[in-house]
Amino acid sequence: MAERHDVVIIGAGPAGLAAAIYAARARLRTLVLDESIPGGQVKTTHKVSNYPGFAQDVEGAALAAAFAAQAQRFGADVRRAVEITKHDLASPVKTLELDEEETVEARAVIVATGARPRPLGVPGEDVFKGRGLSYCATCDGAYFEGKDIHVIGGGNSAVEESLFLTQFARTVTIVHQFQEFQAEPASAQEALAHPKIRVLFGHEPRAFHGEKALERLEVEDLRTHERKQLRTDGVFVFIGMVPRTELLAPYLELEPGGYVETTDGMETKIPGLYVAGDLRVKRFRQITTAVADGTVAALAAQKYLRAG
Amino acid sequence: MSGIVQEIVAADYDREVLGAETPVVLDFFSTECPPCEALAPKFEAVAGQFAGKVRFLKIFRQGNRDLAVRLGVTGSPTLLFFKAGSEAAPRMSGEDIKRSALKAAVEGLLA
Repeated sequence: MAERHDVVIIGAGPAGLAAAIYAARARLRTLVLDESIPGGQVKTTHKVSNYPGFAQDVEGAALAAAFAAQAQRFGADVRRAVEITKHDLASPVKTLELDEEETVEARAVIVATGARPRPLGVPGEDVFKGRGLSYCATCDGAYFEGKDIHVIGGGNSAVEESLFLTQFARTVTIVHQFQEFQAEPASAQEALAHPKIRVLFGHEPRAFHGEKALERLEVEDLRTHERKQLRTDGVFVFIGMVPRTELLAPYLELEPGGYVETTDGMETKIPGLYVAGDLRVKRFRQITTAVADGTVAALAAQKYLRAG
Repeated sequence: MSGIVQEIVAADYDREVLGAETPVVLDFFSTECPPCEALAPKFEAVAGQFAGKVRFLKIFRQGNRDLAVRLGVTGSPTLLFFKAGSEAAPRMSGEDIKRSALKAAVEGLLA
C-alpha cells in the first residue's frame, strides 16, 4: 500500500525547502526527498553574503540546515539519502518508488532537483576525479594544505572558492579562458590583489595527466595555441552547473541545455507536476530566485489541490 | 545500524583491508563534509544488505593522512573496493554516489 501525501517535493535545496515551508504551513501533508542531505548547492558553499536577512556572512551549511529546520518545524517530512528507483509523474495520482523498498503517492509533485557542477569534458577528467581533481572546495580544500593548486573558471564561484582555498594551499593559480574575470568586481579585485593567487587569463584546460594521481594540467594559450603542461598538486573546477533533469526527461520536452520551461506559476504541461529552482528556463539562478520559485510552486500546488 | 560499518586506523590497513578473507569496501571520510554525511546512511544500508559477505570499513582521513596520500586519495568521501588484497573496482567519490551504484559495485566484487 502506497503512503499517501498531498505533495511530494523532490530535492531539498533552497527551492524545495521553501516550497516545503509554504506547503507544510498550508497544512498539506508534505514529503521532501533528497538523495543527499538537505541544502542543495548551498550546503557546500563556504559562505553566503547576498541572502537577505543575514547582515553578516552566513556559512552555506548553516543556512541549509536552517532552511530544513524551518520546513520541519511546520511538519514537513524531510528525508535524506533517498533514491527514486521508479516513478510515474504523468498520472493524476503520481507514484514514486523509493530505494526499491516503498512507494509513496501524491496528487502534486514539485521537482526541485537543481543542478550539478558542469564537467570540463577533457581527457583524464574521469580518471582523476577524487585523485587530485575536485568540484567542491569546502569538501576537499583541506587535502591541499601547503600545496600548489589550480582553479578552472572565472565567475563568482571560481573566484570566491579560490579565495577560500588560499587558507589551505600555498599557491592558487586561476586558469580562465577570458582576459578578465566574470565575477563581481568586489571579489575579483580581492583575488587579483591576493598574495597567494596567480592568474592565467586567456588559457583553457585541455587534459589532465599523472601516474596514479593528478600531476600535470595541460592548458592551451588561446591566442598563440601553444600548449603547455603545468605541474599541479590539485585542480578545482568551477565552470558553472548543468540541470539535473533526468527524472523529468521521460515526461517533458527539455529546452536547449536541458532546462525545463514552466508557466510563471511553475506549472508544467502535466497537471499537478511543478518545477522550481535552477532547472527551470530563466535568466538568473540565485538562492533568492530558487526560494521564490519554491514559494510560487507551493502556492500553485495548494490551489490545484484545493480545486480538485 | 552502527556496528555494521567498522572504523579502522592506518595501522589496521594491512590486516583488515589487504589481508581480509572477504572483499572490503573502504570509505575515506572527513568531518565538515556534507557529501560524507550524505553517503553515510547509504553506506550503512548497503553494508547491512551484504553483512557476512563483504566488510564495510571507514577511515577518518584527517587522522590517517599518510595512508590517504599513499593511496592517492584526495577527496572525501572516496570509496575503495578491495578483493584479495588489491583494488578490484573503480573508485567512487564525491556527492553523487548513488545507493544503487554502490550496491552494483559490491555485487561485482562477489561475482
